[in-house]
This record gives sequence, structure tokens and C-alpha cells, in this order.
Amino acid sequence: MDYIPATENDKKEMLMQIGATSINDLMADLKPQISEDLAFTDPMSELELASHMKKLSQKNKILKYFIGAGAYNHYVPSAIYHLLMRGEFLTGYTPYQAEMNQGTLQAIYEFQSFICLLTGMDVANASLYDGSSALAEAVLMSASYNGRNGIFVNDGLNPQYEQVLKTYCEGADLKIVDEIDEKTACVVVQNPDFYGNLENFQYLSDRAHQFGALFVTCVVEPTSLAIVEPPGNYGADIVVGEGQSFGIPINFGGPYLGFLAVKAPLLKKIPGRVCGMTTDLHGKKGFVLTLQAREQHIRRERATSNITTNVELMAIASTIYLALMGRDGLKNVAKHCYSRAHLLQENLASTGFKPLNSKPFYNEFIMKAPLKSYEKILSKLLKKGIVGGLNLGNDNILICCTEMNTFEDIALYISIIKGTLNLK
Amino acid sequence: MKLIFEYEENISGHVPRIQKINTDKKDKDRDKNNENREFLADLPSDLARKELPLPNVGEVDVVRHYTNMSRMNFGIDLGFYPLGSCTMKYNPKINEDMARLEGFSQLHPLSHESCIQGSLQLMWELEQDFNKITGMDAFSLQPAAGAQGELLGVMIAKAYYKQKHEKRTKVLIPDSAHGTNPATAAMCKLETVTVPSDSRGNMDICKFRELLGQDVALVMLTNPNTLGLFEENILEISDLAHSNGTLMYCDGANMNALLGITRPGDQGFDLIHLNLHKTFSTPHGGGGPGAGAVGVKSFLVDYLPLPRVVKTMKRFVLEYSRRKSVGMLKYCYGNFGMLVRAYSYLRSWGSELRRVSEHATLNANYLLCLLRNDFELPFDRRCAHEFVLSSKNLGQKSALNIAKRLMDYGFHPPTIYFPLIVPEALMIEPTETESKETLDEFAAALKAIANEIKTDPDMVKGAPYTRPVGRLDEVRAARKPNLRWRWLSIANKTNEDSENIKNSGGTTSL
Repeated sequence: MDYIPATENDKKEMLMQIGATSINDLMADLKPQISEDLAFTDPMSELELASHMKKLSQKNKILKYFIGAGAYNHYVPSAIYHLLMRGEFLTGYTPYQAEMNQGTLQAIYEFQSFICLLTGMDVANASLYDGSSALAEAVLMSASYNGRNGIFVNDGLNPQYEQVLKTYCEGADLKIVDEIDEKTACVVVQNPDFYGNLENFQYLSDRAHQFGALFVTCVVEPTSLAIVEPPGNYGADIVVGEGQSFGIPINFGGPYLGFLAVKAPLLKKIPGRVCGMTTDLHGKKGFVLTLQAREQHIRRERATSNITTNVELMAIASTIYLALMGRDGLKNVAKHCYSRAHLLQENLASTGFKPLNSKPFYNEFIMKAPLKSYEKILSKLLKKGIVGGLNLGNDNILICCTEMNTFEDIALYISIIKGTLNLK
Repeated sequence: MKLIFEYEENISGHVPRIQKINTDKKDKDRDKNNENREFLADLPSDLARKELPLPNVGEVDVVRHYTNMSRMNFGIDLGFYPLGSCTMKYNPKINEDMARLEGFSQLHPLSHESCIQGSLQLMWELEQDFNKITGMDAFSLQPAAGAQGELLGVMIAKAYYKQKHEKRTKVLIPDSAHGTNPATAAMCKLETVTVPSDSRGNMDICKFRELLGQDVALVMLTNPNTLGLFEENILEISDLAHSNGTLMYCDGANMNALLGITRPGDQGFDLIHLNLHKTFSTPHGGGGPGAGAVGVKSFLVDYLPLPRVVKTMKRFVLEYSRRKSVGMLKYCYGNFGMLVRAYSYLRSWGSELRRVSEHATLNANYLLCLLRNDFELPFDRRCAHEFVLSSKNLGQKSALNIAKRLMDYGFHPPTIYFPLIVPEALMIEPTETESKETLDEFAAALKAIANEIKTDPDMVKGAPYTRPVGRLDEVRAARKPNLRWRWLSIANKTNEDSENIKNSGGTTSL
């Protein structure tokens, strides 16, 4: 395939205009030049490429997922795909020239609004890479806000998020601590937590504030916000999270959508892009990227973060998702997730699985399989095309349901378990 | 245009009505009365949400709303987009389809290893391709964008010196560098020392020698640099750095100039990041998602993030145990969807990849020739894949005015006021995918505007005239930030208030 339109004649004319004899002549500065053959394969035609890629993709196996743990298999309405594929959204870049990209900017403004409405916060940014790095940014932001270096992480944070947080903290000379005191920059909780537990964290945000620390809530499964109290109502200063559940396929782990929202006093410390409404010289309403004095291209080493490219198209996807779903649709998604998870948990409990959630849960839950049976069960389920959950070791499994898990699949899951355990 | 929140209450188009419970008779009976059963009633009241303030809009209105918004946008699919440093090349449509193949897009990242062999193979092969292209020994595909790649690079350098028990606290960065370079150093608590440029646009090698002390951890260079000029002293710089025990980092933002011609690994760089959304044609999406692979020489391989994709005799596996690794940088394995597109792109080009950079260079030099007599050229050299002009000859704020006026000619403006060392800078990167005809038209437009500035300056200052909005007031936006929609109960307000709300589009200042 060839994406270069210049003909041989064009090439000649252009070189003549430049006053060069050949393209190589233009590249004389570039050194050292490659002398060896890089052994690339022959170029593929579109037809060959499509067939090659299809074969490669079929080496993966798509199954029925009863697994979440940071990637939630929700239904993506068809309209999102069609709208995202519009070249006007897909092939533009960061709207530095606001008059050229009012569509993207308005979408960001709507995205920021949706995130604030869902989380109960005052202001949100235009997106960050994903939930885990958004959490890390929130922690760096806290440390920069109050000049402290201790980070307290409550139990139940997604282990991968914890690893990412550790990586960022190591780079930024911050310490993960075991106690909340006057050196603590922030207190981090995940809600619902890694095990699906839901909690009203007012008591913990009070404790954080008592020591002058910020309270950071991380929401990894944001459909929960349709039915669960928003973090802004129980004392969060910063809410970050993963927006993948809102209209973004699970994509083998990315691209996803990090979001970050804060209470008003933290506005100037926000990392990344922020869109604001303004007027043009005729007084007409319009949108621009604003408060850019926080950002790397202006502030350089004094910027609030180095982030530049974020995940704008994913933010647009989630904006369209929330618009399509609306209040009723989103609530309904959440109810389906909640009900199915509870139905499965109840049925598994009756087969001898031990429920381990000590608190109310949303759509994920942890159970202990009857002694030494889980490996066996997992492979039986896998043979029937079901990913039964995340194996946490010691026969503990983390199971997830969304609206995609049909009742037939739930029934099949249960019957395989019963068969394996020799129950009726 | 109205906001999605301003539509009248409607029946939401997308309330999922999914099949009901029918596992057994008991469930069926319970479901008959209440499709969600009583489960939700168990949620304690201190956890249950009282109010969900989202709009309900019908699907057709939602589709029209966002379709109309897209029409207020501009992308590569609509016209020439010479935004310097961003490599706005054509994004092949086939790559979009490939990334959306069910086997890739519907794959759960925590699936069993036997279920993800296709994805692992793709990642492994892509890493080999990047090694060949850059002359590095290994790549991590985990970083989500160039800036996260830089962050990883600096973290690796920091971990490397920690391991060696060396205290190095400074990073040398030329004054032409992207703002991300110093911002990244700061995130890792390292001090940035700026090195000036010389009269040919290179990093000033005398100043560099002076500044290169035992406390310098890293030299961060973009090559070719942001002026579009290849660093002429690169081999000497690398030698000096290495003999000082300092690592060389390449900001690979401008890799589109080098494909198949010269390799950063051979220029003496120890680390590099690639911007897949620039060089390897993954769409920019209005500001991401991107992907920022990081490559290293063999002595730094153990510091790369986990997991690593490893090929064994029979299959591909994810390896999680490397003691020196800096850890994880994001959830799972990176922006996999963007990796699929980049992989597709590389398979399309195969052994002819070099032509990309040849034509990127040809187009840039041609356009430079067409424009050099109408603008100032701060460094008079052959350029690489992009070049920087100055419109200083056309007066103060001329770069801004030119940018706005170009919109009326149907072009996206170039990057302006960057790099910071050139006054009234216009940074132009045409890319290889543009035809000679397009370049001729763009040059003609710029010449016409240069003339307009002389003959009718007030008209140019009022541009643009053909966009959905006129020139926007950025100062007002920053001074009175209005960053979100708020629901206001209009019934409870006085008439005056509701009038204000109406005028401000139902929003309030933060």
C-alpha cells in the first residue's frame, strides 16, 4: 500500500525547485546512515493486510467474561462507533486553535460536566491516560498542593493501580505510609474497592481532614455512580477513576479513559487540559482550552504535570455514551450489574462457595471455593467458554457481572459448578 | 450550539431492556413483579444515591447533536493540517478496522495466557520492528503517550544511577526542546539545566561541555530538533556524555524524518521514546489516545516496566519478575488498540518504510523553498521533515494573525510561537502524505496573507470569518473560568436570575 501521492514527475519538479539533485542529497546531514538491510518483510496490500490481521486476531479467544478487576465488559451502543469514526473527531489534534475545533472543545466541556455531575465535584479536566495513572497524578497533585510526602493507601486498591502508584511515587520521592498523620499528603481509597465492597467513607475523609491531608477517591467501575452516593458527598477533595465502562471496549487493556475531578480550591493544581466557555469578538458563545499557565508547553519545569496527549477520543466516546444512556439508561445498567452479581453470588453460596465480602458490594464479589476445587472449576468453565473470574490464590476468586452476562450464562456457570462439585 | 444538557426531558434512547431472569421458577416469579428484584433494596441508605442529575435525550437527538458538533471540527480527513511537531499524516482507514476486529477489541486483558496469543505475538513483533527502526535492543509498549514515555525514560535513568550508587540530579535540555522534557524532569525531582542553541540551530557544544558535570544524569535531545534541523554534532555530544557517565535520551517526536535512514541507537542514544500517533499514523483523536513506546540499549533492559512479552519455544508469555524493573506505568500492557494500528501501518509499508521519511523531507524542503522569500528563515539550512519560519518581518502578533487567517483559506494553522527561541514562529510540518498540489495551494495562501497584512491589516486581525465562531476571547476564559454545566432549579430563581441563566447558556462561573 502506498500513502504517498507524489508522482515521479512531481518529485523531479520539487527537487529542481529546491536545487537538489536527489532526495539523498537533502539528507546529507543525517548520520550515521544505515548501511545494513533491516530485513523488513515485503509491503502488504490492503487485502493481504486484512487477511493477515484477521488470522492474528483469531489466535486470541473471546469468551464469556465473569471477570472485571479493572476492565469491565459493558455493552457499547452502536451510535458511538459511528460518531467516533467521523474523521472530524478522529483525525484532528489537541484544539490549540479553538476556532478550528469547536466540536472537540464542546465535547470536552460536556465531558467535564458529566464527570462533575456523576462524582459530585466542582471541576474536572479533559482526561488522563487511564484510571491507574490518573490516581498517580492525583497523588502527585496532593503532594504538590500541601508540600507533604506521605501517601496513605486504604486496603482494597486494585493491585495494578497500587503498582502504578508505587512507580510514580518512587520517581517523585514520595513515600507510601501506614499511618495517617500531619505528614500525610493524601488518603487514597477505591470505591467500590477491588473486591467490589461499597462503603460510605465519611469517617475516613474526616480523619484525613483532621490531619490536613487531602482525601482522594478512586472509582474504577463508574457505572456504580448511577446508584451509589457520589464521592463529593462523603468528603472527597479529588475523585479520579477509569471511564472505560462508559462506551469503551475492553481492548486488551487500552486505550481507556482516566478522569480527574476536584473541589474548587484545587483548580489551579489540576494536571492536563481544561476546557472553558468564553465568547468570540461578536459576543457569541464558544469554547477554548484554558488555565494553560499550569501546563508544560507554557510553564515547562514548573508545570503541574508533563501530560500533553491524553485520551480525548475516549472522553468523547464516554460523553456520547452518557448522553445516549441518560439518567434512566445508566441507572438501568447499574441495576442489571448489581442484580446479576447478587443473583450469581446467592446461587454460588448455595453450592458451598463461601461469600467473603464483609460489606455491601456492587457488581464484583469475592468467594472462597470449596476446598482445593477452584483450579478444577476454572478449567471446566474455560472449556465451556467461560472465564469464571480472577484467581486470587487460596481458592479465592473475584467474580464480576455486567449487563452482558445473560441469565443463560449465569445458569450455565452455576450448572457447571454443580456438576464439578457433584451436586444436583 | 446548545449543550446536551439543554435538551428537553425526553425518553432516553438507550435504556437497555435486557432479558429477564429465568434461571428457575422461583426467580421467574420474583422477576415478574420487579425486573431488578429486591436486590437493590438491600443497599444501605447511606450508600444509595438520592439524585442522578443527568439528562434523558432521545437517540436521534444525541446522534444529531454530536454529528453537528463534528461539523464544527477540522481534521486531516478535511484538509491540510501542517501542525509542526505533531506529524499530522493521513491515518489509513484500514487500520481502524483492524483495531476493531473482535479478536482484538473484545479481548479481556486478564484472560488466560492461552487465550491471548494473537495479541502477545503482535506486541512481540512490534517490539522487534521498533528495535530495527531505532537501533535499540528492547522496547516497552506500555507508555500511553510520548510524555509518559519520557517519564519512564527519566525513571529508568534514576533507577539506574540508584543501582550504581551515583547521585546525579541534573538533566541537560536544549532551549529548543518541547516543554514536556523539563516538565518530566521536574516530576522526577531532577533539575533542568537549559543549554542554548548555536547560530546553526544545533545545541551549543561549547556551552554543553561547560555544563556537563559529574551531577548530570541525562541529556534529553530531540533529533532532528524542533527547528526541523538534524543535530550536526550528535556523535560528539554522545561521546562527551558517555565519557562523563551520562545517559543520552532521545525524544523521538521527530522520528518521521529518520525512518530507514539513520538510527538513534547508532547516534549514541541509550533511551528513546516513539510517538505512535505521530510517526506510525495512529489517529490523534482530538488529543489522544496516543501511544509512546520506550526503547533502551541492552544494559537498561532490566529496568523496563513489567510485564514483558517473551517468546519461548512454543508460545508467547508475559514475564512479571525482573528485580530491577521500575514497575508498572499503567494498567495492563499499554494502549493496545493503538499498537494494532501501528503494527498494521508497519506491515503496509514493510521494506519500503524509508520512503516515508524521504518524502516527508522532500515535502518540507519544497514548501520551505516556496516560502523562504516571504518570511524570515532563522537558520538557513536544509531542513528535515519540518521547518520553522519567523513572521517577525510582518510585525508583532503576526504569527497569531496568520494562523487565524489561514483558517479562512481552509487550512489548519501551523504550530505558532514554538520553539520559544524563534520570535513569531511558524512551525510547519507537511508530512509525506500531502501532494505537491496541496503544498502549492498552502504556499499561495500564506503569500496572499502576507500581502493582506501589508494592505489590509485590520481585516487580518479580525480573522477568522468562516468558522462557526469568530476569534475567541482566551483572556476572559481564564479570568472567569466557566468549566462546566450546572443544573439550576430555575423555578426557585427570580425572573432576573433565569434571564441571566438563559443568557449564559444555563451555566455559571465556577
